[in-house]
Amino acid sequence: MTLLTICLLPWCAALLLARLRSATAAFALAGACALVVLGLLGQMAQAVWAGQTLQSSVAWLPALGVSATLRIDALAWLFATLVSGIGALVILYARYYMDGDERLPRFFALLCAFMGAMLGVVLAGDLVLLAMFWELTSLASFLLIAFNAPDRGAVRGARAALAVTGMGGLALMAAVVMLGRAAGSFDLATVLAAGDVVRADPRYPWILTCFLLAVFSKSAQFPFQFWLARAMAAPTPVSAYLHSATLVKAGIFLLLRFYPVLGGTDAWFFAVSTAGAITLLLGGVAAVFQHDLKGLLAYSTVSHLGLITLLIGFSTPTAIVAAVFHVINHATFKASLFMAAGIVDHECGTRDLRNVNGMWRYMPLTGSLAIVAAAAMAGVPLLNGFLSKEMFFGEALALEGHDPIALLAPLAALLAGAAGVAYSARFVHDVFFNGAPINLPRTPHEPPLWMAAPVAVLVLLCLLVGLIPTPIIGAPLAAAAHAALGGSLPSYSLALWHGFNGPLAMSALALVSGVGIYAVLMRKRALHQRPLPDPWGYRQFERLLLTLARSGVVLVRQLRGDRMRLQMAVLALAAVLAAGWPLLGGGFEAHLPELTAAIPQGGIIVWVVGAVFAIAATSARNQPVTVLLFLGAVGLAVALAFAGLSAPDLSLTQLFVEVATVLLLLLALQRLPVEAPPVRSLGKRLRYAAIAVAGGGGTGWLAWEAMLRKPPAISDYQLANAVSGAGGTNAVNVIIVDFRGFDTLGEITVLAAAALIVWAFLARERAGVLGRFQGSFMLPTAVKIVMPFAALVAVHLYLRGHNLPGGGFVAGLLLAIGLVLEALALGSWRSPHARPVRWLAAGLGLALLTGAASLALGYPFLTSAFGHPVLPVLGEIPLASAALFDLGVLAVVVGATVMLILAFAFGREEGKK
Amino acid sequence: MPMWADICVAVLLIVGALAALIGTWGMLRLPDFMTRLHAPTKAATLGAGCALAALALRFYFVEGGSSLRYLIPLGFVFVTAPVSAHMLARAWRARHPVTPKPDPAMPSASP
Repeated sequence: MTLLTICLLPWCAALLLARLRSATAAFALAGACALVVLGLLGQMAQAVWAGQTLQSSVAWLPALGVSATLRIDALAWLFATLVSGIGALVILYARYYMDGDERLPRFFALLCAFMGAMLGVVLAGDLVLLAMFWELTSLASFLLIAFNAPDRGAVRGARAALAVTGMGGLALMAAVVMLGRAAGSFDLATVLAAGDVVRADPRYPWILTCFLLAVFSKSAQFPFQFWLARAMAAPTPVSAYLHSATLVKAGIFLLLRFYPVLGGTDAWFFAVSTAGAITLLLGGVAAVFQHDLKGLLAYSTVSHLGLITLLIGFSTPTAIVAAVFHVINHATFKASLFMAAGIVDHECGTRDLRNVNGMWRYMPLTGSLAIVAAAAMAGVPLLNGFLSKEMFFGEALALEGHDPIALLAPLAALLAGAAGVAYSARFVHDVFFNGAPINLPRTPHEPPLWMAAPVAVLVLLCLLVGLIPTPIIGAPLAAAAHAALGGSLPSYSLALWHGFNGPLAMSALALVSGVGIYAVLMRKRALHQRPLPDPWGYRQFERLLLTLARSGVVLVRQLRGDRMRLQMAVLALAAVLAAGWPLLGGGFEAHLPELTAAIPQGGIIVWVVGAVFAIAATSARNQPVTVLLFLGAVGLAVALAFAGLSAPDLSLTQLFVEVATVLLLLLALQRLPVEAPPVRSLGKRLRYAAIAVAGGGGTGWLAWEAMLRKPPAISDYQLANAVSGAGGTNAVNVIIVDFRGFDTLGEITVLAAAALIVWAFLARERAGVLGRFQGSFMLPTAVKIVMPFAALVAVHLYLRGHNLPGGGFVAGLLLAIGLVLEALALGSWRSPHARPVRWLAAGLGLALLTGAASLALGYPFLTSAFGHPVLPVLGEIPLASAALFDLGVLAVVVGATVMLILAFAFGREEGKK
Repeated sequence: MPMWADICVAVLLIVGALAALIGTWGMLRLPDFMTRLHAPTKAATLGAGCALAALALRFYFVEGGSSLRYLIPLGFVFVTAPVSAHMLARAWRARHPVTPKPDPAMPSASP
């Protein structure tokens, strides 16, 4: 229960926050949410550290073996605590960073949603749930990065982040499905215990590839590192959150989580450590040469993530301990550094390192906090960064086997260590010393105390962990590493002093050479003159996007409207081929049409009339309106034929669909070129004729064949059970609203969505009035007389639908046609009854409520009940709860039809007149 | 079903069919739009009206009192046919604005 609260609370808070206006209330709510989550986690601490795993589970998709399981062990607890703890500090910081910004409630809402998504990833006890929350983190981070939306940098950064992490999400989904199959379950605990089975599975290479693709894209590992640097377009509190505790750490979390399942193989070692090493060096070097303060920090994050990945790639138990430890340390110092950078940016109005110099004189407090944090990042002794970096150097030296990586690893580690010292030195020296500020937009001073407070808390943590590691972090670290390893814990020591050994020498060497490199580069401010290094990856990404867009344009040019005939021919041909393909295999006996069967004579006349109109339509091909009227006549003939063949439901539907279609097309013709150029070449005409005959003839033949087969058992079942199971004698309607009600619910949802899209596209500048009918008196009067009767007929069709031909769909179409005619006659889309959005909303709402009502009564969703109560005056009344659902269908059909047709009628064209 | 009713139904059907035939013929033969407009209007009102009346009468005797609903479409036809003719005429007028003619004997001379 507590787990469920932790997981859902941020989402509830986000929903509430989105409605708030007051910044103070929003701050209080968001902060309270983070603190409550933190408190609940604190309650669990003792149990979790002792090695317990708490779990709560709700059945979700039992048929697929998927359940909504939440699970917390020490590793999940550690990450959850980082997410909520740093989240609380970021909320406090953002309150002052964005002071006076009216978008603050929205910002907090997004931040809470993001926190909820991250907590979900960390606490998910089921692979499918994990993948879902993973996607949510991508979406939430997209919204946060794009927070300053019209700004180009924000939009581009958010797009890059979404494209890369979204791709990773797809890869993760694939990995999850394969992993679930290989392990035999989607349950995380089962999967974690099935490591040997998974590694021996033939699908293992694929699982690993997809999994690493997902992890590397999220954690900004090479070659996906570019999106993280672009993501600094987000407001600084977001950067502090994204870079330290959340988004990028989700990938690291997954690596650690699945290390017992997927790790330990050679493939894992090479793929993970190579990506980590390249990222480590690339990020470290790029960070030194940035001129943007946040850019420097962003690339340093890339580098540190590479370091953690490299450690996990080493695959030794002590390396995993070091990785977990560095996750904690990096989160604390990187969050504080970003906040400090935000303070500098906030106070100076710029964060260009070439202008922001000598800040020590203006903000000594922020300065001293930032210097301590930067020293932690560089790995200066007595701070937390020193301890984990020391462990990293130790691991690099101790690596055995795996030539030549074992030889290169210490060298790479040393180089990266030196680069880390160099960019940390630049951060400290360039911002706080190095002469006086140049051309600042405003005069900097110390920030409000509350803005510096979160930085101070984090820096204090850096110091405490650095000075007395074991009492502060020993227990959770040991428990988390134990959980990550999934087995026994190696012996390691968190002590500050291990004597003179290799790692210490490497630390010293890195410190000295790092400072030296920076000093050389910065001599006479030479570093400020250097151009930015090429942000490798982003240009390639942009080029890829451009290529995709261009190929789309080429494709559209081949198929778009002015090649209508080609387009139709391709569609028809594709349909013919798709339908004909299975027949080529054989094993199919054809029935030749036998006209001896009892076909009513009237039916033949109707067919002949229909055929004549169809041929007439082809001869009038250059006059669209005439063609349309002929086609309408063909449709009516088909409706009559249905009636003659005892399919009254189809006949009714066909009739109204035909009317609505002709109406829609007539209105659409206003927007189309009146005349199509005639096809002159005989060869082309023959070709089109052949396609037409193949399409029409083939469809007819297929229908014929289908009707001659013995109906499969399912239709017998439905006919037999319509009355006893659903209390209706109209089996068609019973199937729609009861037996397959869930399908119908999906269909009306799609219908509503499609109508809304058309409405949004066509009616952008909706004109209020359709001018031509203005001033007519007779038409509106006639409509006023006829409309109530049309509505009455619709009600009649709806009411009898459960037992006789009719039902919500047909009644909805009829009512919609009436409403459209009314709107056209009144010459205004604001006619009193045609409020399509309301119809849609009411219909969907009613259908859902009907379904939910059965849930409330303890039956599965959309179970229907029926009875035949006897009322005093009206006598016996057949009643089924499905009728309410049918009413929902009716309303959606009305809304969608009215919306589609009116969108054509009152579109932009009229707006111009 | 009594004899007189049978006769009534037959007469109504024949009159209706004749009206429809004459209307269609007129549609083909009359010279211009405005005069042509008369033909289908009469065909619709009279033709459909008679046929529906025949239907109502026959089913009154076959099925009993419930046959009044066949008269509902009749009402619709009476309301809508003139209105649609009116709207067609308006549409034609909108495309062919009336210009003052020197000869009052010819109200309209467009082809």
